[in-house]
Amino acid sequence: MTAENIFEVEHVTLRFGGVVSLNDVSLFQKRGEILAVIGPNGAGKTSLFNSLTGVYQPQEGTIVFHRADGRSMSVIGKKPHRVAGAGVARTFQASRMFSALSTFDNVKIGAEDHRGFGVVGAMLRGPRTRHDDRRSDERTAELLRFVGLAERANVLAASLSYGERRRLEIARGLATGPEVLLLDEPAAGTNPAEKLDLARLIRRVRDELGVTILLIEHDMKLVMSLAERLYVLNFGSVIAEGTPAEIRANPVVIEAYLGTSTEASA
Amino acid sequence: MREFFQRAPIRRLLVILGVVLVVELITGPPGSNEHPVAGFTGSYHEAASYFGLFRTQRWVVFLTLALVAWGITEFWNWRGPTIRARASDALAGPRQVGEKRPVRVGFALVLLVLAILLPHIVNNAFWQSALVTYVAIYVLLAIGLNVVVGFAGLLDLGYVAFYAIGAYTTAWVTGALPTPPPFGHALDAFWAIPFAVVFVVIAGVLLGAPTLRLRGDYLAIVTLGFGEIITIFANNLYGITGGSTGTKQIPHPVFHVGPIKYTWGLAPVPYYYLALGSVVLFLIIFSLLQRSRVGRAWTAIREDEVAAESLGINPLKFKVMAFAVGAASAGFAGVITASADNFLFPSSFTLTFSINILVLVILGGMGSISGVVVGAVIIQVVQAYLNHTPPAGYQQPDLYIYVGALLITMMIFRPAGLIPSRQRRREITLYEKSHEGHPDEALLGDDV
Repeated sequence: MTAENIFEVEHVTLRFGGVVSLNDVSLFQKRGEILAVIGPNGAGKTSLFNSLTGVYQPQEGTIVFHRADGRSMSVIGKKPHRVAGAGVARTFQASRMFSALSTFDNVKIGAEDHRGFGVVGAMLRGPRTRHDDRRSDERTAELLRFVGLAERANVLAASLSYGERRRLEIARGLATGPEVLLLDEPAAGTNPAEKLDLARLIRRVRDELGVTILLIEHDMKLVMSLAERLYVLNFGSVIAEGTPAEIRANPVVIEAYLGTSTEASA
Repeated sequence: MREFFQRAPIRRLLVILGVVLVVELITGPPGSNEHPVAGFTGSYHEAASYFGLFRTQRWVVFLTLALVAWGITEFWNWRGPTIRARASDALAGPRQVGEKRPVRVGFALVLLVLAILLPHIVNNAFWQSALVTYVAIYVLLAIGLNVVVGFAGLLDLGYVAFYAIGAYTTAWVTGALPTPPPFGHALDAFWAIPFAVVFVVIAGVLLGAPTLRLRGDYLAIVTLGFGEIITIFANNLYGITGGSTGTKQIPHPVFHVGPIKYTWGLAPVPYYYLALGSVVLFLIIFSLLQRSRVGRAWTAIREDEVAAESLGINPLKFKVMAFAVGAASAGFAGVITASADNFLFPSSFTLTFSINILVLVILGGMGSISGVVVGAVIIQVVQAYLNHTPPAGYQQPDLYIYVGALLITMMIFRPAGLIPSRQRRREITLYEKSHEGHPDEALLGDDV
């Protein structure tokens, strides 16, 4: 396998008791690619995301994350914060903001370095702490401008609209300085105008910041216009892979989405 | 008629009267075999004097309080929303970018001077000692527990364990325990402070590392168990801790560096200054921490642990840090109590003690340092007053009834505490909003 790939997922199986959530899933993502994973409800898309970010631990298979500096990391067995620290950021299906904090502080928490134990340093505000703090502030302001929330920096996160919350989550994820950003249904609950903005923003994240995008989405229009390549999951297995045009024409995918007609399967 | 009873205000009145009835019975005289209902009948006949001001039947007082409470409730329901809308900056005031929170240095200095002069203002033996044993120690404990409960959002029911470890370390270091002191020779109690701090921090890490993987209720139960384990150890490890009789030989602390030598004696005022110094020290440490990177990580974990993890925050690490940092002030409190009292018994380190500290934190306002200090001072001063000059019929355990009632009232009217932190208040407001419904639902069912 080449270092061009950022994620390599090989034969991953994830079970919850007797329920098989992911069944022998193998896939890869190239660096800089906008990749989408689609599939009907319960197909295992979010399980895949959670396995990629260390939230779930698959029983079988390997997940390798290749970093730009040439080092690789096996995701399985790592805690979510380790995976995040290595450069994998994500958003959540039901948005999870720190709702009692301002938009600014939400992003700032992402921008700060949470490694090390520096209790004393953090407390005494030495020159280094102050310098880091200023850097986090600058980075936060920059990202808020990037996602178009600069005006809303001082607003409580809870009072943002759905579309704004999605952008806040993207900014917060980007604040951690990731190489890949995983977006779990970013368009859920947004209106058509916001969807358009969102698609534009996601493309800019890749083009201007060079962050690879992995996307789960239900909204076919958004997926087809945004993704360069797609995987289709059904009942925990990959049933198809290809470009949007290929997927649209794939009979297996149509079957999975629309159901089987008796004559066709005969 | 049925409709009349179904009206919300009437139903609320009935509920309040029901509560009054229960309180009457609980606080009434005990029944006996001959008079099984003495508690019931007796409660209405006994007259008692209140606050040395007036003497009347108890039911009159309770009924008056009930009607006042009902009146306030109804007024609040009638005018409340408007008042709240006008006064609430709850949703309008997150931290502004670059905003420097006004650290009211001047105000803090005035309070400090007042605190320094206080023992001379009261100038009364009981109150001078009460300032140490009732107030300063509890403030120290409450601000420490506030780090765990308020900042990191971890419910710790075994906080007393750290206090006990601090106290026992003092006894050990000064050679007051059956087990020999470290390095074979006893030290002054003053030097127990670094030992105590190191020990409680280690204890915090040891307890925290395995248990803080748990969440919510489970954590509370495990910490409760830890508190009990420490007490049982203290009771049963006779050869090490002196068992249930504890020890009575802890010396007064001596500060001796070079030519400077100061000995704390029997007088309470020097201990007050020792405790006050520790309180100020920890107030500074904790408020700096709260505004730091670490404090923000705690906030993130408290608000949404999963999201915090996805940002590279290791929840376990920061929770253990909160535990250890919060334990440090309990260690200080343990040293001061042990060396001021000269004695210690395992029976003083009970679950009730942990819960008392927790009550101070909740009443004052979780996460709000100034709130916790004010809450602790008020409750403890009232408690000291009631113990010192009890009104007729008042007994020490009665306090819990009043504190309990106060706690319930607070949870209804000021759920975020006496002086809530802005953030906590927003969290609670948001929680209420997300559970769209009338706050009365919880009390009176959903058709209010």
